[in-house]
Amino acid sequence: MDFEPSDTQRALLDALDALLRRHAGPARSRELAVRGEYDHALDAKLRAGGFFELFADADAGPLEAALAVERIAAELGAVSAVPHLLVLPALGLPSPEGPVVLAVRDDASPVRYGAAARRALLVGPDRCAAAELVPDDATPVPSAYGYPLARVSPAGTTDLDPGTAAAAANWWRVGVSAEAVGMMRKALDLTVRYAKDRTVFRRPIGSFQALQHRLAELSVHVEGARWLTYEAADHGAPAEASAVAAAHTMAAVRRLTRETHQIMGAVGLTREHDLHLWTLRLQQLAAEAGGLRGHRRAVTASRWGAAA
Amino acid sequence: MEFAFTEADAAFRSDLVAYLEPELAHWTRSEFGLGSAVFTDFSREFVRTLAAKGWLTPHWPVEYGGGGQGAWQHFVLGEEMWMRGEPRGPQYMNVNWVGPAIIKYGTEEQKRTLLPPITRGEVFWCQGFSEPEAGTDLAALRTRAVRDGDGYVLNGQKIWTSYANEADYCFLLARTGTVADGRDGISVFLLPLDTPGVEVRRIEGFVGAHSFNEVFLTDARVPAESRLGEENKGWEIVRRTLAYERVGAPRYARAARVLDGLAEWCRNAGLLADPGIQEQFGNARVLCEAARVLVYRVIDERAKGKEPSPMAYQARAAMVLAERAVGDLALDVMGSEALVEHSPGDAQFRNSLGAGIAAGSYETQLNLISRLILELPKG
Repeated sequence: MDFEPSDTQRALLDALDALLRRHAGPARSRELAVRGEYDHALDAKLRAGGFFELFADADAGPLEAALAVERIAAELGAVSAVPHLLVLPALGLPSPEGPVVLAVRDDASPVRYGAAARRALLVGPDRCAAAELVPDDATPVPSAYGYPLARVSPAGTTDLDPGTAAAAANWWRVGVSAEAVGMMRKALDLTVRYAKDRTVFRRPIGSFQALQHRLAELSVHVEGARWLTYEAADHGAPAEASAVAAAHTMAAVRRLTRETHQIMGAVGLTREHDLHLWTLRLQQLAAEAGGLRGHRRAVTASRWGAAA
Repeated sequence: MEFAFTEADAAFRSDLVAYLEPELAHWTRSEFGLGSAVFTDFSREFVRTLAAKGWLTPHWPVEYGGGGQGAWQHFVLGEEMWMRGEPRGPQYMNVNWVGPAIIKYGTEEQKRTLLPPITRGEVFWCQGFSEPEAGTDLAALRTRAVRDGDGYVLNGQKIWTSYANEADYCFLLARTGTVADGRDGISVFLLPLDTPGVEVRRIEGFVGAHSFNEVFLTDARVPAESRLGEENKGWEIVRRTLAYERVGAPRYARAARVLDGLAEWCRNAGLLADPGIQEQFGNARVLCEAARVLVYRVIDERAKGKEPSPMAYQARAAMVLAERAVGDLALDVMGSEALVEHSPGDAQFRNSLGAGIAAGSYETQLNLISRLILELPKG
C-alpha cells in the first residue's frame, strides 16, 4: 500500500504535464470548441509520446494509464482518452488514430465524437461489439456541453469474445471516473480560489462557514472519488470496485456542479469564465456507461448478486 | 502508488480472521449493551484470551509486551475488530493510545505498574476529556489539579465519559495552569477511579444504554506520580497520542458489515430485486468504500512515520457519511421492522446518530478541512 506516486510515476506525469501544457489546456479547448473538433494534433503527440501504450507497458500499467487519463481530462484534452488508454488495450485491441466511440449497445443516446469517429465499441451486458463507422451512421445533435455529440447506429457490427463485455464495461467505468476526477479537481480548485478572492461585505466569501462546510464536503467527495478510482485501476478494474468508483465519482459530479456554480455566482455562468469548460463536460461523463443509477445498481449486483 | 496489501499484512489478516471467526461465532454485539455488565463481561473474558494468544498488542514494541508489528497490522487488527462490533469493548482504547502514551511519556514506574495489566487484558481505561463547558472547545476545560505537597488535588466534572461506570482508570485532562493559559495549562493524570472523591453517575442514553457517564471530582487527592509527562504539557501529549484516533475506530468496516446483513434481509424479504432499493444499497456501499480508502490513505502516512496531516479530517468526515447512509437505508428499506429492538436497522440507526459527535464533531472536521486543506480564510 503506497499512496504516494513513485519516482517513475512522477516522471511519467511530469512528462505528460509538459506535453499537455503545450498542446492542451483551456485556451486550446476554446479554440477547438468553436469548431467542435477532435484534437488530432494532441492525439498524435500523445501517441508519439507512448502514452497510449502505458496500459501494457512493463514499466507502467493500468494505474499509470488511468492517471494519464485523469491529467488529459483535467487539461481538457479533446481526445478519446478512455478508449485509447484503457478500454482498447484492456481488450487487447489496437488503438486506431482519431476518435473512438464508446457506447452502450442498443442505446441511441448521443455519444462523444460520434460524427467524426470511424471506430466504435458497443458495450452490452453480455456481449461487446466493434463497428467501423461510416458518415451515414451518425446523426449530430446540437449540444452546448463541450463535446461534439452525435447519435450513432452502426450498420455493421462484429461481436467480440463474450469475455470482453465485462472488461469493457469495467474499464469504461474506471476511465470515465478518472476523467471526471481530473475535471472535478480543476473545478474545485478554481472555486476555492474564487472563494478566497471574492469579497462581499468587506470579507472574502470563503470566510463564511456556510460556504466553507460545503467546499470541505466537496473535497471529501472528490478525494474519495479520486482514490477509489486509482485503487480500482491498480486492482485491474474488478466489477465491484469499478462500479463503486464510478458511482462515487458521478454522485460527486452532481454535487460539485451545483456547489461550484452556486458559489461562483453569475460570473460562473459566463463563457468568459473557465468554470464551465469543466462543469459542462462533466455532465456528459456523468451520463456514460450507465450513469449514476447504473453504477449504483452494478455495485449491488456485483456485491450481493442481485440482478441489475 | 499501489494499493495492494503486502503478503505479510495479508497473512496477518488471514491468521487473525481464522482466529476470530470461531472465537466469535456465537457472539453478536448487542449495541445496547455497550458499557453494560453483559457486554463487558464477555469483553473481559475475550480480551484475556486475545492477550494470551498475542492478538491484543501485536503492534506494541516487544520490550513492552508487544509483537513489534507495524502500523498496517495495527490497523488491520482494528478493522477486523470493529467489523465484528469491537469485542474488545473499551480495551481498544488501551491498546490504541493509552498504552502507547504511557510508553512514550511515562516514567519507568508508570510503565512497570500500568502496562502489564493492559497487555494481559485485565484493565479498563476511560477517557476524561469532555466537560459540561468544554467539548468541541476542549481547551476550555476547567477541571483543576492544584499542587498540594507531594501530590495534586482534583476538583471538577467530566461528562460523556463512556465506560467510566466499569473502568479502573481514567486518562484525565485537568488544568494545572490558569484558564487563560488555554492549551498551555493542561496536564494528563492517570487517575485510579477508586480514588476517594471520585464519583461516577450514569446518564441514560439511547445510543448505547450505558455509554454516557458523568465523573465528579471532589477534592480527589492523587500523588504527583500519577501525572503523565510534564506539568502543563498535556495538550501536546494528547495531540500526539490521539493523532490517529480520528480514524482509530474504523466505523465504515462495521457499517459495511451491517449493510451486508441488510442486503440479506432484503433478499429474504424479496426486496433486493427492486431497482430503487438496489440504487440505495449501491450508494451506501460506495460511501463505506470511500471512507475505507480515505482512512487507508491516513494509515499509509502513519506507516511511513510522517507527521499526521489534515487528511485524517476528510477520512473521518467520510466515515460519518457512510454510517449515516447505512442507518438511513435501514430505516428506508426495513420500514417499521427497523424499529424492532435489536434488529440490524435499529442498531445501525441509533449508532449512526452518534457518528458525527463522538471523537470530534462532523462540523469540526469540516472546519479543519476548510482551514488546513483548502486554506480558506478565517471567519
